[in-house]
Amino acid sequence: MEGSYIPDSEPTTRTLLRRLLDTEDPHTPRGRQSTRASARRTPLETPFSMRLRSQTKTTTRRHSHGARSIGRLAHIQTSGRLKEQTPRTLLENILLTAPESSMVVPESALKPVPAPQVVQSPSGESSRGSLELQLPELKPPTTLAPGLLLALGKRKQRLRLSEFQQGVDQELPLSPEPHGNAGASSLTSSLNLALATPPVPQSVQRPGLARRPPTRRAVDVGAFLQDLQDTSVALALPDTVLEDTQPFSQPLIGRSPNVRHSLPCPSSSAERTVGRRTQSSGPRLQNNSPGRPDQLLVGKAEEVDALAVGFPNTSNSSSGEDGLQPLQDGVGEEAEDVMEESLSMSDEEEAAGAQGSARAEEPKTHKEGTEAEGSWGATEAKELEGPSRDKDTAGRTGSPELTSITLEFQQARQLEFLEPAQPTSTAVLPPEPLSARRPPRARTAGPRLRQDPYKTGLSHYAKLFSFYTKMPMEKAALEMVEKCLDKYFQHLCDDLEVFAAHAGRKTVRPEDLELLLRRQGLVTDQVSLHVLVERHLPLQYRQLLIPCAFSGNTVFPAQ
Amino acid sequence: MALSTTVSQSKRIKRKAPRGFLKRIFKRQKPHLRLESSCDLLVHLNCLLFIRRLAEESRANACKNKCGIIKDQHVLAAAKVILKKSRG
Repeated sequence: MEGSYIPDSEPTTRTLLRRLLDTEDPHTPRGRQSTRASARRTPLETPFSMRLRSQTKTTTRRHSHGARSIGRLAHIQTSGRLKEQTPRTLLENILLTAPESSMVVPESALKPVPAPQVVQSPSGESSRGSLELQLPELKPPTTLAPGLLLALGKRKQRLRLSEFQQGVDQELPLSPEPHGNAGASSLTSSLNLALATPPVPQSVQRPGLARRPPTRRAVDVGAFLQDLQDTSVALALPDTVLEDTQPFSQPLIGRSPNVRHSLPCPSSSAERTVGRRTQSSGPRLQNNSPGRPDQLLVGKAEEVDALAVGFPNTSNSSSGEDGLQPLQDGVGEEAEDVMEESLSMSDEEEAAGAQGSARAEEPKTHKEGTEAEGSWGATEAKELEGPSRDKDTAGRTGSPELTSITLEFQQARQLEFLEPAQPTSTAVLPPEPLSARRPPRARTAGPRLRQDPYKTGLSHYAKLFSFYTKMPMEKAALEMVEKCLDKYFQHLCDDLEVFAAHAGRKTVRPEDLELLLRRQGLVTDQVSLHVLVERHLPLQYRQLLIPCAFSGNTVFPAQ
Repeated sequence: MALSTTVSQSKRIKRKAPRGFLKRIFKRQKPHLRLESSCDLLVHLNCLLFIRRLAEESRANACKNKCGIIKDQHVLAAAKVILKKSRG
């Protein structure tokens, strides 16, 4: 395949080029013409090479570059054959004016081709293009050489160019050289052009297409906490099931000191019982009824926990309340009275199902005091809270057990609410937190939604403010800006109303806006409204505001 | 928004006008009035110009105090002047 492929007696430019390329770098992935090139190369070198060099300086240089670039690929595939293929293929590519195919495709097509073709016997020439060229190369039949040469001659320019371009793609730095050699032929010039284009689009990045980072709106801490509370109410209920087994793992720092006094044992035991749910607590409570404060505590804790746990479950609530009732019989403390009341009240509301249990729990929590109430925040319990509150104060004094129960309540339910802390006095407790919490998520959601979009809109303008100043700003300054914007909007609306009323209209028109801008001193005789619009608004808005003539004798927007 | 106390300038600014927001504000303030469709763009333009003037005034105030950061007192002083100007 190497040298004997083609008689070297032909001093064609092709051969000369090939020779040159051979001397430079014998690597090319193109197997098509390399054999031919190599065959011709060897014998003809000396006399014609010089001529070729002078004539085909550019091409050879390019070819060499392409050869180098392509050669890397060639290495991978075939060793000896590709060496010879490279110069020829490269030369052919160079001489070809227009690439038949894309720079990448033919190369990839060529690469796998040589390998299989090497295996296959060269079936002779077919006028397909690169593939055909490879076939003869793989098997260097001398007979094919002349025919191949002819065919190559027709297509060689294109092929070489494409190959060269491919090689160029692989190695971008080739561009300077071909540019330098542009004078050689039109091919070279086209090559130069072709070389110039590829690297540019890849490297240049259009800022317009860049993705913008998502704008973040200022976090409203109040809204966030509210939302947190809302979700905690929803989340706390299912969590209670898990929390039952961890009675006092929660930090109860904020709790009243009674909590400390509360018996950890009964509470812990109560928690364990709670874990087992209300069913077991029922009989246990009854057992405890005989008058053991500790047991009662446990039972109460169980009930409380059961109620707490069973809050979301109607069954639990019912069972919890059943358990409570036997407790009533056995308990003789003040708390019991309170409990009775709560139980009775809860019984009334038991029809509500889960809510009933919640309510029952709520009065208990109220007994405990602020913390329980604050933690619950159930609006439904308000009515219960009212009457129970009086008793709560009474019952509060003497019931560490209740505090323990409330502890469990709180632990189970609102771990998050521990921080918001709780006012110490029940009487001071405002019903709002309770009402705000539970039932009407709608209530908390309402003010929050109203605040949020308004704030986001203002923060949008506040960001623009920080953009205009080009200086770092404090958060307090941003909030001050938002306040100013608020005032500004109020003034704006008032002015527009006055202007529209002055014109006897109830709709604000652009003329009113123009008058406003004029009065503000932004629109003068020198600076018109359209100038301002063009300066500050993006194109889409400009089109909407400034009347422009369109085809068909139309003006948009219509005047 | 908890770590740094100052706002960086590296954020991109979106150029869209919050038309719904503006309409809602107007409706909330003056429910008996109506706003035309193209008017909210002009309101947005007015807001931009107001904020631009406010920003320049605040920047001048901050530079006057030789401060590298704009503080709320700068903004407050600037707002007094600009609000008076844009009273109409």
